[in-house]
Order: sequence, then structure tokens, then C-alpha cells
Amino acid sequence: MTANFLIGLREGLEATLVVVLLMAYLVKTGRRSLLPRLWAGVGIAVAVSIAFGALLTFGPQGLTFAAQEAIGGGLSIVAVALVTWMVFWMARTARSLGGELKSQVDKLADGAAWGLVVVAALAVGREGLETALFLWAAAQAAGESSQPLLGALLGLAVAAGLGYLLHRGVLKVNLSRFFTWTGVGLIVIAGGVLAYGIHDLQEAGILPGLHNLAFDVSAAIPPSSWYGTLLKGTLNLSPATTWLEAGAWLLYVIPVLYFYIRANRSAPAKSSGNAVAGNAATSKAA
Amino acid sequence: MPGTPLPKMTLPKMTSRRRKSLALVAAAAAVPLVLTGCTDNTKTPGSSASAGPIQVTSNKTECKVSIGSVPSGNLSFAVKNEGTEITEFYLLAEDGLRIVGEVENIGPGLTRNLVVTAPAGKYTTACKPGMQGDGIRAALEVTDSGNKTGVDADFQKLVDTGVQQYTAYVRDQTEQLVTGTKAFADAYAAGDATKARELYAATRMHWERIEPVAESFGDLDPKLDAREADLEPGQEWTGWHRAEKDLFPPAGYTALTATERAKIATQLVSDTEELGKRTRTVVLPADKLGNGAKELLDEVARGKVTGEEEIWSHTDLWDFQANVDGARIAFENLKPALAQKDPALATSLDEKFAALQAELKKYAKGDGFAYYNELGPAEVQQLAALVDALGEPLSKLTSAVVL
Ligand SMILES: [Cu+2]
Repeated sequence: MTANFLIGLREGLEATLVVVLLMAYLVKTGRRSLLPRLWAGVGIAVAVSIAFGALLTFGPQGLTFAAQEAIGGGLSIVAVALVTWMVFWMARTARSLGGELKSQVDKLADGAAWGLVVVAALAVGREGLETALFLWAAAQAAGESSQPLLGALLGLAVAAGLGYLLHRGVLKVNLSRFFTWTGVGLIVIAGGVLAYGIHDLQEAGILPGLHNLAFDVSAAIPPSSWYGTLLKGTLNLSPATTWLEAGAWLLYVIPVLYFYIRANRSAPAKSSGNAVAGNAATSKAA
Repeated sequence: MPGTPLPKMTLPKMTSRRRKSLALVAAAAAVPLVLTGCTDNTKTPGSSASAGPIQVTSNKTECKVSIGSVPSGNLSFAVKNEGTEITEFYLLAEDGLRIVGEVENIGPGLTRNLVVTAPAGKYTTACKPGMQGDGIRAALEVTDSGNKTGVDADFQKLVDTGVQQYTAYVRDQTEQLVTGTKAFADAYAAGDATKARELYAATRMHWERIEPVAESFGDLDPKLDAREADLEPGQEWTGWHRAEKDLFPPAGYTALTATERAKIATQLVSDTEELGKRTRTVVLPADKLGNGAKELLDEVARGKVTGEEEIWSHTDLWDFQANVDGARIAFENLKPALAQKDPALATSLDEKFAALQAELKKYAKGDGFAYYNELGPAEVQQLAALVDALGEPLSKLTSAVVL
């Protein structure tokens, strides 16, 4: 039961985190009206994953292992690209919030909203297939014992709950901090997703170097422990990390973070306008 | 960063085209994989399957695989986790490193399936309770069931064999061309016009059979095979047709001097030898065979059936035959592969080649053929019609074999 719970929790967190941060961002900037689009993306991903999982479990044909890994890995990398774009898009629109450009920003946000749907769909979808296969297996076992399914669903529920708490928590953070930290958070998460995608492609034999480990801390952080699960679920930290994964993580996170922080630092102080916008946004969020 | 102003970053506004392309990227990443990455789900023991899925049970200390040796083909594993930790199951190649297939996230009490297509060979199975370490390993032998795993691998082999055979054919024709050209050039340079005329058409057949390959060397082709009518301004006229005009002179033609002939002959031999050298290392993928065959037939339609190629010697039917030979050999080398993909096309090509060859045979005379200027318009038309009839299915050969 605990083990299945942990799988549900881990997969749930992996899928939820990006969505939660995007959601908080929309609420903070007073664009609740765009939330349905985010949910639409999530819904599409969940529906497609479950249908696909059922098809692969019960249908006449299954995906080869290499194809499964390649899809997971490929989607992860596309998701990283989109999240990165989102971070900078958020930075840009949030900044112009203060000025008279509000209507223009809204227009822009409206235009980018379809990108939002795609990001949400990918964030959930890249984990979806694997999770759906696991859930169907648990459902099949439900005849003998409903414990595995129960554990898995509970794990997913807790992940959603944690996501909600995080959502509430970040809503309380002061606006300018919020933007800095959501941005940083998304970049770090995206780095993990990228490394994870690379690992999938290594397992599929598409990329080399699966057995050249940069570090292996699985003795200190067992992947089946609750803290191993949390680290994996939130940061996509793999206790046994290959050089290629580590390299991709560093090559992604360091420059992107650098540009992001530099963009923050060099921004001219327009505190009054920001404060107004911040108040407006917070009141809407409340 | 307290008090930090809101981030500033100017990224170009995302246009709808870019959004669309992002979605396309996502779709493009997934769709081909879904289409090509399928494998049959081996279902519970039915009519043919003598044994159901291979049962694997994993717990903290054991990884029991129900069988140590299985016939090749689609292997189905049902991996049951009887331990208390999450487990994973891997099918590894003989080196114990390359992953042939894996299932992750097998929670306690769960059974998850793995289906892989495995050719005969030695494998390693591994369960990883707790998802770390090398896992509990065992050897698994996959014996040759005689069933070909995957038609595609087999098909590729047929294509590869065909390509090898054709490459050898090209090499052989080139060697004969080099030898023949030397004999021709000797006779021509020595002023033995009768012998040179005799050798002319027969030697050129080796050239015409491999024309698309020879033409792929853009510098050699004009030096060796340019016709007077096609000369670029300022281009020096050398090669076969230069000698042809001298050997089959039209009225009012001034013959070349002995020195000029010798120069043409030497150049012809050295260019042909260069061609031979380059052909030895030429790489011919399957599409070159298919397209080459079609090109040869186009050559026939463009130059031979019109009598333009050999305007002075009128030996166009030799070239005609040689082009058809080259196209037919390329087709026949690809035929085993084609028969698997598109048997109807293979049959149709067989028939059309035969019909054209039968018609061409009507004009055979001794070792050679009738001269082009001996043919009547109706006869030319009949040949042209058969060339067209063959050209149509032949144009489908490449896509049928390569795609
Ligand atoms: Cu996962």
C-alpha cells in the first residue's frame, strides 16, 4: 500500500507542479478567466493518457518499449521548451502590468493562452502515459485486492492536495517575489524534466551513455523512500544520474537562470506602478 | 530578492503561426513514434501460443522467471510484484547493459506486462526491488523459432543484396568498358577505320548500360559522351561522338589528321580509366537503382527512339538495347524486395520488359542490330509505345522499394 501510494504521489507531483505554478501566476495577475484553458489542457492530457493506457493494456497492439520511452522523452523535451518560453513570457507580461498597457497585456495574454493549453497538456501528458499504465494495472488487480488501486489513487490525491497547498502558499507571497520565485522554480523544474527526458531517451537507446554515471547517491536517497519520492516528484532528481543528464541539467539551468536573473536585476525600478498592479492582482486573487 | 522590480524580458510576441508550429512539434514528436512503435500484444494462451506470457515474480530477494529458454519472436512477460517495495523489470541484451525492454512502477501486489520483439540470442533478465542497484539477474536464452522477427528486417536484407548485386554489375560493366575502349582507341588511332567502326557500337553498350552512374560524374560525362549538337560554346569536343563523326563521316566532312585522332583516342582512354577508378568506390543506395532504371528508359525515349544519339553511325538500337539491359538488371536486382512490397508492380514490370525486349529482338541482325535509318515510322512508333508503357510502372519502382 505505501509503495503504491508513493508511486501515485511521485507521478502526481511530477505532473502537477508546472500546472500549479502557471495557475498561481494567472490568478496573481488577475487573469482568472484564463484558468479554464489551463484546465482544458490538463483535461485533454488526462483523457488522452487514460484512453491510451487502456488501449495499450487491453488492445490488440502495445507500444514497444523503445517507443514508450521515446514518446516520454520527446514530450519531456518539448515540455521544457514550452515552459521556458512561458517563464519569459510571464516575465514580460507581468512587467508591463504596471503601466497603462493593461489592455494590451490582456490581448497578449489572450493570444498566448493557447500556448498555455499546450503547456498544461504537455506537463501532464508526459507523465500521463506511464501513470495510466500503472493505474490500469492497479485496476486489474482490484479483483484480488483493492489496496494497490486505493494506494495509487490516494497518492495522486495527496499530490493534488500538496499542489493546492502550494498554490495557496504562493498566493500569499508578495508579488515581485512571487514572480522571481515562480520563474526560478519553473526553470529548476524544467531542468529536471529535461534531464528526465534525456534519461528516457538513453534508456530507449536513442542517446548513448546510459551507464556512465556522474553520481550515484541511491544509498543515501533510496528512490523508494518518501524523501526520494518527493525529490523525484518535485525536482525530478534521479539518485543515479548519468553524465549526459547532469550535463544537460547544468547547460540548461545555468544559462537560463542567468538570463532570467539578469533580466530581473537590470529592470528599471518602477515601484509605484508595480505596487498598484500588485494590489489589484492580490485583491482579485483573494 | 526583496524590492526587486518585476522582471523585464523582451521576447517577441508569439504569433499564431508560432503557436501552431509548437503544437505541430509536439504532435510530430509523438505521432510517428506511435505509428512505428507498435508491437502485437500477445494475449493469453490461445490457439497457437503453446505457452502464455512468461511469468516473472519479483520480491525482495528473488526474481523468478518461469522459463529459461523461449523461442524468438514476440515475448510477453507478466511481471508480478510479490514484495513490499516498488520493483522494476528489465530485459537486457547479452552485454547486460543495453535495455531491450523494461517496466517501471510495479507497485506491490501489481502485475504489469512487458511485450518485446526479440531475435534469437542470449539475454539477461533483472528485477530491481527498491529501484536501485543492478538488480537480481538471471540468464534467458532465446532460441531461433524460424519465424522471422519483423518483416522489415528481412525486406531490408533483400534490398541490400539487390544493391550489392547491382554495384557488382556496374563494376563489371565498367571494367569491360575500359578494356573495350582501349581496343577501340588503338584501332582508331592507328587509322584502322574498319575495325574501329566494328568495335564502336558494341563497346559503347557497356557505357550505355551504366549511363546514370557514369552521368553522376558531371565532369566526365560531357568529355566522354557529348554530341556535337549539345556542345556548349567554347567546349572542346572529345569522346565517343567525336570519333563517331570521323568514322562515319557525313558528306563534305574533312577527316581528322592522324595527330588529332591520336589525341582523341588518348583522351578517351584516360577519361574512361578515370571513370573506372571512380566507379570502384561508388555507393549506390536503393533509390539510385530505381531512379537509375527510370533514367535509362528516359534516355531511350529521348535519344534512341528518335535516332538522335548516333546521328552518323545510326547504331541507336545498340544503345537502346544497352539502356534497357541496364534498367532491367536494376529492376531484377530489386525484384525480390519489390515482390514482397508490391507483387503486382513486379509482375507488371516483368511483362512490360518482356514485351519491349521481344519487339527489339525483331531488329536483331547477327551480333548487332539494324541501323536506325532502316526503320520505318510505324516501327519506331511501336517501339516508342512500348517504352512509354514500361516507363509508367517503372517510375513507381523507387517509391515502392524505398518507402
Ligand atoms: Cu515519472
